[in-house]
Amino acid sequence: MLAMNKYKVLGIAVVTVVATIVTSSCNDKRSTGWEYAPNMYEKIAFDPDQANPNFKDGKTAQLPPAGTTPVGFTRFDYPKTMDGYNQASIEVKSMILNNAKNYTDGKQLFLAFCSPCHGATGQGDGTVVAHGFPAPPSYSKGQSSRGGAMKDLTDGKIYHTITYGLNAMGSYASQLSPEERWKVVLYVHHLQTL
Amino acid sequence: MRSISLIFKQFSKTVLLLACFTVWGISAKAQGDPAKGEAIFKANCTSCHKIDSRMTGPALGPVISSETDDKWLASWIRNNQALIAAKDPKALKIWNEYSQASMSVFTQLSDDDIANVIAYVRADWKKIQDDQKKAAPAAGAVAEDKGPSDLAVYALIGVIVVALIIILVLNNIIATLERLIGGQRLLPVEAEITESEVAADKYALLKRILKNKKLVFFIIFAGTIAMCSWGWVALWNTNVHQGYQPVQPIKFPHDLHAGVMQIQCQYCHSGAYKSKNASIPSLNVCMNCHKTVKTESLEIHKIYDALGYDPQTQKYDSLKARPIQWIRIHNLPDFAYFNHSQHVKVGGIKCQQCHGPVETMKEVYQYSPLTMKWCIQCHKRTDINMKGNAYYENMIAVHDLIKKGVKVTPAQLGGIECGKCHY
Repeated sequence: MLAMNKYKVLGIAVVTVVATIVTSSCNDKRSTGWEYAPNMYEKIAFDPDQANPNFKDGKTAQLPPAGTTPVGFTRFDYPKTMDGYNQASIEVKSMILNNAKNYTDGKQLFLAFCSPCHGATGQGDGTVVAHGFPAPPSYSKGQSSRGGAMKDLTDGKIYHTITYGLNAMGSYASQLSPEERWKVVLYVHHLQTL
Repeated sequence: MRSISLIFKQFSKTVLLLACFTVWGISAKAQGDPAKGEAIFKANCTSCHKIDSRMTGPALGPVISSETDDKWLASWIRNNQALIAAKDPKALKIWNEYSQASMSVFTQLSDDDIANVIAYVRADWKKIQDDQKKAAPAAGAVAEDKGPSDLAVYALIGVIVVALIIILVLNNIIATLERLIGGQRLLPVEAEITESEVAADKYALLKRILKNKKLVFFIIFAGTIAMCSWGWVALWNTNVHQGYQPVQPIKFPHDLHAGVMQIQCQYCHSGAYKSKNASIPSLNVCMNCHKTVKTESLEIHKIYDALGYDPQTQKYDSLKARPIQWIRIHNLPDFAYFNHSQHVKVGGIKCQQCHGPVETMKEVYQYSPLTMKWCIQCHKRTDINMKGNAYYENMIAVHDLIKKGVKVTPAQLGGIECGKCHY
């Protein structure tokens, strides 16, 4: 009788201890912990990356209606074709000055957005390429897949490629504003001479 | 008769000649050196082609292996533009199928170079297919064996071992205690113990402890202190999410992307330098690389599914697209305003100062408490770098005016900015 009780009590104690350890250690980091007055903490205004029940597709970030142009939007009316590319090469010229500030800005943007593949010196040897991503051609020595040497690429051609992407490269229009793209073009022109 | 033999002679000549050509052709097909071809292939073709799957251009393994006309292949590889310009039907078909994307011309490659490349692609494709055939039964066997994961099994074993140790230790302690109590009892006779006596025995130890007033006081005192300190900590940590590490819908490893690949934070969170929001990247940013690499991964296929993207045809179907619901980790209360660009661009603070070593985190957690005390502490201790910082130019100009003894108006201090009244 005594012995049976002892094991029962022991068993219950062990189960409780283990259960507490397991549940408390697992749940902790997955929950936000105690909250008081959550209505003061949860946002009423929606951030662009939040879910939104007011729209049909549940997203806060909506596309602008067709045919509209946002305030401050720079148009680029050259289509993503060979003709648009050649047309841009002739007609489009950089809209920023070639000065030291734009050059250093362009360098920083190039290092952040382009160098993972194109490499810090534009030779097509970035860290991502070293891990198996197909290498892009060198700006100074390579050949463009659309004909001609990479070092002869014009303002319009480089801007067209950043805006639309080419081959394995995607479009950078969502990450770089038109002005930032021109700063990158400025720095790429420097890399073409290396 | 003579004429017949003549015709026969000529006929046999042509047959012989044809046979010769065929043999030469076949040998030409097998002529290329795959080892040399591999080097040329890696130098010229890999930016747009893979052997086993579609990239910018078609998967070369099946395409080149099924194409029998090597001469046509060579002329396409050397100058596809010329073939398209000459309206070669086969060339036009490929050009249109790949949405008129132009392939580089390789006029610098010799006949031997091209033969080597073709030989390499065919040999490699054959190898890949053989490997797949070998791997297929093995994969089936592995799938069958799959039970609970190793980690779960080890954890279970660990818990059982710990539980056993606890049981043994407690058992020992109870045995010792029983011996102590049993020693004080006078010759206990098991058979004569009635139920009430058992009950009395059960609580004997407890009664003895309760009689020790100093011990009781100490236990209550320690308990009160423990409860109070726990309550204090719990109250202070209410609404503080430090250490929060939710399970995200896609297992995105920051340690691989920001650590090993050394991709800057800004590449994906491009809003940090120019907006209030650091921004969660939209999926087109993932596709900049993952259209091409890791296309077989299940986690990457979650991106494809969310975009309605078909890796076989490389086409997007917007009707199948649906947003990925990432779980927000860093959440400031609605009554606090925080602007990323103000801190990153103007203040020049590194992302890691608030977000911790994200480049080593496999799964991101909240590193800083994000409490008001934490904000204020940094605002009190940080020096402002005003040199070459356009944000403070106006302030320095006004300061110089005051030093010269010129009167300063509220307008010069930004007093007529819209937001001062209309916020």
